[in-house]
Amino acid sequence: MSMLRFHYHMEIAFSEPVWDHVYTLKCLPKTSEHQEILECSYTISPANKIQEGMDSFGNRMLYGTAEERQSLFLVDVTGRAKMREGDSGYGNEDISLYRYHTSLTRPEERILELLADCRERTAQIPKARVYDRACVYMGIVRESLAYQKGITTINTTAEEALALRGGVCQDYAQLLIALCREDKIPARYVVGMLKGEGESHAWTEVYDNGRWVGLDPTNNVVVEQSHIKISHGRDYRDCSINRGVFRGQADQRQRIRVEVAEEAVRIL
Amino acid sequence: MQELKLTKQAETVNELLARYGVKFGIYKNNTFQEQLFPFDTIPRVIGKADFAYLERGLKQRVTALNCFIKDIYGEKKIIRDRVVPEEFVYISSGFLAPCDGVVPPKGIYAHIAGIDLVQGKDGEWYVLEDNLRVPSGASYPMIARELCRRSSPETFEANHVEDNRDYTRLLRRTMDHANTGGHTVILTPGRYNAAYFEHSYLAEKTGAHLVTGNELMVENDYLYFVDYSGKKEKVGVIYRRISDEYLDPMTFREESMIGIPHIFDVYRKGHVALINAPGNGVADDKGIYYFVPKMIRYYLDEEPVLQNAPTYLPFYEEDMKYVLAHFDDLVLKDVAEAGGYGVVFANKMTAQEKEDFIALLKKEPRRFIAQEVIDFMDIDILEGGVRTPRKADLRAFVLMADEPLVWKSGLTRFSRNPDSFIVNSSQGGGFKDTWVLSQ
Repeated sequence: MSMLRFHYHMEIAFSEPVWDHVYTLKCLPKTSEHQEILECSYTISPANKIQEGMDSFGNRMLYGTAEERQSLFLVDVTGRAKMREGDSGYGNEDISLYRYHTSLTRPEERILELLADCRERTAQIPKARVYDRACVYMGIVRESLAYQKGITTINTTAEEALALRGGVCQDYAQLLIALCREDKIPARYVVGMLKGEGESHAWTEVYDNGRWVGLDPTNNVVVEQSHIKISHGRDYRDCSINRGVFRGQADQRQRIRVEVAEEAVRIL
Repeated sequence: MQELKLTKQAETVNELLARYGVKFGIYKNNTFQEQLFPFDTIPRVIGKADFAYLERGLKQRVTALNCFIKDIYGEKKIIRDRVVPEEFVYISSGFLAPCDGVVPPKGIYAHIAGIDLVQGKDGEWYVLEDNLRVPSGASYPMIARELCRRSSPETFEANHVEDNRDYTRLLRRTMDHANTGGHTVILTPGRYNAAYFEHSYLAEKTGAHLVTGNELMVENDYLYFVDYSGKKEKVGVIYRRISDEYLDPMTFREESMIGIPHIFDVYRKGHVALINAPGNGVADDKGIYYFVPKMIRYYLDEEPVLQNAPTYLPFYEEDMKYVLAHFDDLVLKDVAEAGGYGVVFANKMTAQEKEDFIALLKKEPRRFIAQEVIDFMDIDILEGGVRTPRKADLRAFVLMADEPLVWKSGLTRFSRNPDSFIVNSSQGGGFKDTWVLSQ
């Protein structure tokens, strides 16, 4: 067990003032088998009426409209999470949703070729040992892509990322999903925060005999106590942290900063 | 004799329709063109007993389809019980994951259903397609009847025809039943939409506000209509004539300019009713069509009153074998397409086209259904003053409130091309009034 303190910060700077900025945020972590959220508070600026809701994947949402003119939109989420050992949750929700490809994960030639490689390298592992096979796939994803910012976008498919031989955590996660789904292993996309300082992170969960297991192909590690999960869905689009439309003509620049640190255990 | 008289007035009525702006807009080569929807004055006549049979079958079908949608976005029993294979649901472009777990007000999904039927030469009716998203067309027979009645009132004294003005009452009843408390509005994408005439006509008839997306807004988890003075009125039901993917840029297509941000979130919370419910496309998918008779047995424990056209799913090995063996006799439909697009008659393909198509079919069997070509009954139209037989279908409308009611009329569409079986208005067909006899 470990105790983590987290701070998620997002700012959008607009080049010109905008108004009627309508937004939906999926940035609040939720208690699950993997993590207990002990405290969680948020501030959104400009301040306005904010509603809370839940999407069909079970993710927490914040949404609202900032009517007044603004040039800077700020979101801050802070809290504490007690991390537990073990799985990322049980399969009491709809598993089948995560068996089928989306436009971002649908494999073409290159992924199918890579999958053939995956199968060859797991030929010795019994089919039923999903977790063991998926771990090998994770390693293969890691070998197949080089971490490189700026060569992919939020609309890059897994197939395209593989063709580019590189990308960011989103591309690693979606490539692993593509391989798993094509191999009949239900897999889903996860957004969250990683211990340390950086941006938000993305990884994969695979379904293995009644439980979801987190695999982080960008770092080639099994998800344990340093990953705080925020949301999950079929692919990046279901989990996008921020979605918004506004009036006015402006360029926007988004910056995200995440800090997650272990809390010193208080000794009485 | 009365009918003959009406026939003579074809020109007058079509002129009036043009003057009233009864148009059908279509996009051709990327430009918007408004074209008249040609009206043929010879009505399709359906006898009282015949219609009673249709009515029974339509109510049964739409009830089962509603059960199906509710089940798919809820418990998914029909999948667990292996009546419908899950891939047909999850791969369907009409299945919208954001609708999973969302229960609409009163639990109704398909409030307005447009069921397309044809009558075979043997007199048997067959359902060709269920339209559960935004079925259009009811206004055309309504206004045509209105004009015919005006130009020839004696026709309707001599013939005992059910009054089709009743559609207004049925639609209002459906809207009122779903209403969560507030105004009733009809949402149109605007006057460049193919069915804009219909949107404005139905709004006028039912007394609902006709609005575009920028007159609606979400605030404090409710939907409001903002009038020209800036006054906000709560909306309880919205009969939206825009498709699911454009409804809400915060949940569906982000680039949609005609939708209302966050409308889906307030709908999810039960604060407004959407007619029809988003996500219905999972039930009127051409692949799911095959399963409708099975749904009727599964949910209602009844035998289907109305038949499907004989349909094969190449997805099943056995059906694939049949399709390949009888390829030339079949019509093939791409399940993702609508409006008469993606429909090909095998006997009209060249040898090369056939080869390519079969290769595609083997590669993506889930994407197509194959159907026997039904030799459907011709109906006379007036072409240059001469009665000429043409293919025609019937779109019947079923409106759901506490129980389903069938409108005693319907849109009869015909193909103007003598060799064509495709009657869709977007492909240049014409329409007729549909008379349901009351005696």
